[in-house]
Amino acid sequence: MALDQQQALLFGVAAAVRLLLFTAFPSLPSLLAGRVEVSTPVTSFKRLQEGLFLYTHNVSPYDGGVFHQAPLLLPLFSLLPNPSYHPFATNVVFTVVDLLSAYALAQVAESGQAAVTRLFTSSRKDLRWSSAAIAAGFLFNPFTVATCVARSTSALTNLCILTAMAKASQGASITFILAISFASYLALHPILLFPPLALLCYDTRTARTKHAPNPWMFAILHTLGLAVASGALLVVSAVLTGSWDFLAATYGVRLLLPDLTPNVGLWWYFFTEMFDSFREFFLGVFWLHVASYMPGLTIRLYRQPLFVATTLTGIFAIFTPYPSIADASLYLSLVPLFRHLFPVMRYTFLASSSILYTSFLGPAFYHLWIYAGSGNANFFYAITLVWSLGLSVIVGDSLYAALRDELDVDRPELRGKEVKRI
Amino acid sequence: MLSSLAFLLLHVLLAGAAASSEYDERLLLRPLPQSSLLASFTFRSTEPASTFSQQNLRYFPRSLGQILQHAHTEELHLRFSVGRWDAENWGQRPSYGAREGGTGVELWAWVEAQSEEEAFSRWLTLTNALSGLFCASLNFIDATKTIRPVMSFQPEGDHKNASNLHVLHGTLPHEVVCTENLTPFLKLLPCKGKAGISSLLDGHKLFDAAWQTMSIDVRPVCDAVSSTCSVEMEQTVDMVLDVDRAKRPRDNPIPRPLPIDEIECDTSKPYNAADTCYPLDKTAEPAWNLTEVFGRPLKGDCPLTEQAGDNANTVCLNIPPERTVQVNTSGEYAETQFSSGTLRCYKLPTGADFDLVLPKQQMTTGLVLAKPPLYAARSINGHGQERGSVQAIIKNPSATEPVEFVYLESLPWFMKPYLHTLRARVDTSPESPIRETYYRPAVDRQRGTHLELKMVIPPASTLTLTYDFEKAILRYTEYPPDANRGFDVAPAVVRLLSPNSQDKKGIYLRTTSLLLPLPTPDFSMPYNVIILTSTVMALGFGNIFNLLVRRFVGVDEAQTVGTGGVGGVVRGKLNRLKALLGKG
Repeated sequence: MALDQQQALLFGVAAAVRLLLFTAFPSLPSLLAGRVEVSTPVTSFKRLQEGLFLYTHNVSPYDGGVFHQAPLLLPLFSLLPNPSYHPFATNVVFTVVDLLSAYALAQVAESGQAAVTRLFTSSRKDLRWSSAAIAAGFLFNPFTVATCVARSTSALTNLCILTAMAKASQGASITFILAISFASYLALHPILLFPPLALLCYDTRTARTKHAPNPWMFAILHTLGLAVASGALLVVSAVLTGSWDFLAATYGVRLLLPDLTPNVGLWWYFFTEMFDSFREFFLGVFWLHVASYMPGLTIRLYRQPLFVATTLTGIFAIFTPYPSIADASLYLSLVPLFRHLFPVMRYTFLASSSILYTSFLGPAFYHLWIYAGSGNANFFYAITLVWSLGLSVIVGDSLYAALRDELDVDRPELRGKEVKRI
Repeated sequence: MLSSLAFLLLHVLLAGAAASSEYDERLLLRPLPQSSLLASFTFRSTEPASTFSQQNLRYFPRSLGQILQHAHTEELHLRFSVGRWDAENWGQRPSYGAREGGTGVELWAWVEAQSEEEAFSRWLTLTNALSGLFCASLNFIDATKTIRPVMSFQPEGDHKNASNLHVLHGTLPHEVVCTENLTPFLKLLPCKGKAGISSLLDGHKLFDAAWQTMSIDVRPVCDAVSSTCSVEMEQTVDMVLDVDRAKRPRDNPIPRPLPIDEIECDTSKPYNAADTCYPLDKTAEPAWNLTEVFGRPLKGDCPLTEQAGDNANTVCLNIPPERTVQVNTSGEYAETQFSSGTLRCYKLPTGADFDLVLPKQQMTTGLVLAKPPLYAARSINGHGQERGSVQAIIKNPSATEPVEFVYLESLPWFMKPYLHTLRARVDTSPESPIRETYYRPAVDRQRGTHLELKMVIPPASTLTLTYDFEKAILRYTEYPPDANRGFDVAPAVVRLLSPNSQDKKGIYLRTTSLLLPLPTPDFSMPYNVIILTSTVMALGFGNIFNLLVRRFVGVDEAQTVGTGGVGGVVRGKLNRLKALLGKG
């Protein structure tokens, strides 16, 4: 797929904006990298630099409480010149990562899987935005720009997730498996995206070839492929760092939450205030809660796997232990793919205004708590609650719209009428 | 220069005394500028190694000896300190800082063990036992507060099997040193504070001092010639008293301004009048005596000290020769002078009170204070409770000699330094002063950061060391009751490698401790947080699963199908049953 002129212009402008921000405000990257809304302990660029420093000085970066990111990032970033003195190469890398993500998103949009799948064709399928518009929505989303300028490694996770979606919607099994295993290797929770995206991959493969592949064989082969790819990544990491310590320092930290640095999610304050004897129990409950959405959504909406994957990214942005605005930007950029659902959504004003409200009040309340001392932790906590509530309203509302859209196809006589859930 | 010679001489005297006698005690008094007075108490006892191992102890306290044997501790150093040594005004530290500790409690020991794990378990035994002995929270020295220094500490004693020795170091910067630590300290002495110079030690004055440090050092000493070994225990108390403050009567301790006619005014000031006065700096040495300054009389000699010839100089004064000293005692005493009169030593009478009285005197000559080899200061930069940076400024005052030293930081785990931001600059040369780095990063709730830097500072230069750190937010149960006061960070320890000291004690200096404010959660609302967060999660979960498990029907159809939920299911079953029965 060649880049047409419109896309080239879009990507050029997006790259220019990022590089301009990097060069015109040299202190902006470190300022944003220090914001808790943008950088979490598992994605912060400053911690990556610390890990790199220890790695290049032959101290195991995982024998410490600072670095919790995937081992393969270390040799990758050690190839670049030291970002403290020569930040340009790193800035270019993160800009390119954003452009590649936008390109993958455009591919997803062009595949048309959002509205027309093998088993389901939306009655409003002509209501859609162009792929360039959707890519622009991603590239010029202030959350994405902030993530890119803060050089948070969640940009890489987002790239892997979007690539996995793009490849799944094109039916390219091998690249899809590679992308999803990279994503889960970097951030663990994207592994939950595998079933819906495998389903999407199966759908496109079936639609492309005349005779459908055996679904069981397809599932087994893909699961095996994922296991092999993830296993290979882990083994390479172990060889690279010389031990398996990285498992506890990366995935162990995500699972057990020893670092309670504030973020926009729901976990940190809950586990700060949790009674010690119940900590393990609630950690189990919270993780079970995150994982529980995947089977339910995949079974109920098996005809629209891309929508399931999108909704799951929304769930990740709310309910994972270390969410940041990067996760929200991924979800909010995927939602415009479902332009045909917008007329059926009911609470768009409420959701968008609460997101806007928290985007402005969040940093202000954090300042009141940490710097001004005139507020306490509850100020910021309240904002994270509203933020999570706003996002979950979008998730729930779009889910309602998707189900309503299915109903319009299944029972055209109810179209436009009031319905009830029983 | 003379005075520093005298200072050295005293050390030599003390060292000579140790070999010949089994118990020996000394007090050195030395006026410092701004009417301060340094008092250094040294109590030293030795026990032959053979009788020590059989617990046949004479002067060595049995309680401590048994603890050391039980914990397989070969060498022990314990410090209780309060305050700050003002090196700018007071000069070189007593014993070159080797008997000084960081603010709070500091403990390091060489433990004999086959493995690191065994060494650590013996270390825990030691800290717990010492905690009981000294009424201090030493049992809180756990894995997060223990480090294993690599370059900063060298054994002072003569050890036979050095390969099995493990050095462990722990600090409690938050510990408030007070009277309950002094009482067990005095009980370890043969005269137990009833006689001898230890009778001067009073908690009210000791812990009111501008700076004080109590130390206990146990080490094995072997004579190379006779190849006999003994265990030496040295207890010291160093304190800097403010003479004016110490002289206040105990029943009326509130300072009140002098009547204006008793103050010497600077008449050159334009506002000088009958009712306004700018006090002149006092040039005269203040008057003081032992009883007034220490709050108790010196109750004669401790009869257990070995009395022989020149070594019986228990109380020494390091003052200019022109200063008048009167001795007040009913017993027999002897005075000896060393170093052309700058060091006057007294042999104490037995069984009679002894007092030294120094009247107020206008001096023409002063003592030359020895300059310290390094000045060190450390502080936290930045604001807010999220992150900050530490800045240590180390100054080499010597015009000719470069100084090589080891800088040791032992940081709590919730203060997370970024080593890639560590910068060391010397103002006189662009070259990096860091020669060697040892770094062991912290692991959350398991161990603290351990950083050792070997650095060289060129003559007449200032070294600035900075690094960034981030503050962790803790679980609400991990905060102390006064959470908003902040957390204490242990002082940095600086050990000089070159110029090296003459003996094995080494030359040390310590910075002050730091106060680290951490972000605090709201302690009053664990229930509210659990409820509110659960509500948001339940809203999301309920909304989504409500949509997933139910199906849509038209509003008009809802009646015929029946309502959803358990009731609807039951009603549906009932309807089917009725229909079946009706058919039958």
